Amino acid sequence: MPAVTIANLKSGMKLSKPIVNDSGMVLLPQGAVLTASLIGRIENMNLATVSIEGSSEPRKPLEAVLAEIDARFRMADDHPLMQMLKRVMKEHFEVLYQR
Amino acid sequence: MIDKDIRTIRAEIERIDTLPTIPTILKKLLGVIENPKASLTTIGNFVSNDPVLTSRVLRMVNSPVYGFPGRISSVNQSLILLGLNVVRGLLLGVSVFEAMQKAMLGLWEHSLGAAIAARVIAKRKKMNEPEEVSIAALLHDMGKVALSLKFPAEYEKLLSDVEARSLLVYEGEKELFEITHADAGAWVAKRWNFPPNLVEIIEYHHKPHLSKNYPMQTAVVHLADVLIRARGFGFAGDMLVPHLNQAAWYSLDLKEQDLKDIMHELEDLLQEAAEFILSDE
Repeated sequence: MPAVTIANLKSGMKLSKPIVNDSGMVLLPQGAVLTASLIGRIENMNLATVSIEGSSEPRKPLEAVLAEIDARFRMADDHPLMQMLKRVMKEHFEVLYQR
Repeated sequence: MIDKDIRTIRAEIERIDTLPTIPTILKKLLGVIENPKASLTTIGNFVSNDPVLTSRVLRMVNSPVYGFPGRISSVNQSLILLGLNVVRGLLLGVSVFEAMQKAMLGLWEHSLGAAIAARVIAKRKKMNEPEEVSIAALLHDMGKVALSLKFPAEYEKLLSDVEARSLLVYEGEKELFEITHADAGAWVAKRWNFPPNLVEIIEYHHKPHLSKNYPMQTAVVHLADVLIRARGFGFAGDMLVPHLNQAAWYSLDLKEQDLKDIMHELEDLLQEAAEFILSDE
């Protein structure tokens, strides 16, 4: 459930979490589908982000993530312990991207 | 290399709280918590009387960094649940980093990530005070804040240098100052009367095998720091994973499968923390 900044909200997006005010009152329920007028009201609520269903903000492709891991490990790749850590990290992302 | 000897640098770092860029809230806070005899009640009252501090403490204790299932609604309740040292560290953490929020948002993210990782690891190792270890991880890089506040131009240049030369910030600092953020952080921590375990963990988080009195807690924070960098969460000043210290790793007695489990447990907490950071006003 990615957090989407207010400026990037578009009509048709669906809330994956309710919008709640400081005292816990639900202002917009989970599952509400955004319209232009709802987005206008959300803009007035002074929120930084709201949670939206699905991946409306595209995530980085797995290949790019794995390449970044290689880059981060480039100074410490010489040791079995670090190789193990790198393997764990790559597998971690591979599993994440499967779900 | 900077044209100052270590003693001068230390004296200047220790007086960091007199800088005009330090928020007044931190100055006020230091006045109360530098006193090692300050009691739970003194600190509780001080914080409760300041609405800004109160909301910061409550926001942090209810955040994903401290996974309390029930909502904590008062400062006194957090003091009882988390203990004096943790709340002291929390207050300092949020105030110290406030000075940096804009310039080094990535460092705040790195620190929160390390705090979460340290708590997860400490719990897995069934250590007595996972929250204390977590606070040490939250503050482990405060020397970077101190150095960049005291030497802003030099530190900015250092950061672009280490990027161009593929160095760790730690190595760049050694070249420029002869000391590192670990030393600087420990000096400030000592000066501000932090509890001894915090001082030692901050000082040795890059050399955990040298920690005499708190080797396990230091090893946990060291591993948390390395793991969070390896995961690529936040920005500690460089985009490199430093070597995991072998002695520390073996003393923790963890296996590859444990690391996988830890990463799995961490992932959702990190996602929540990223939202928490985004929602920061």
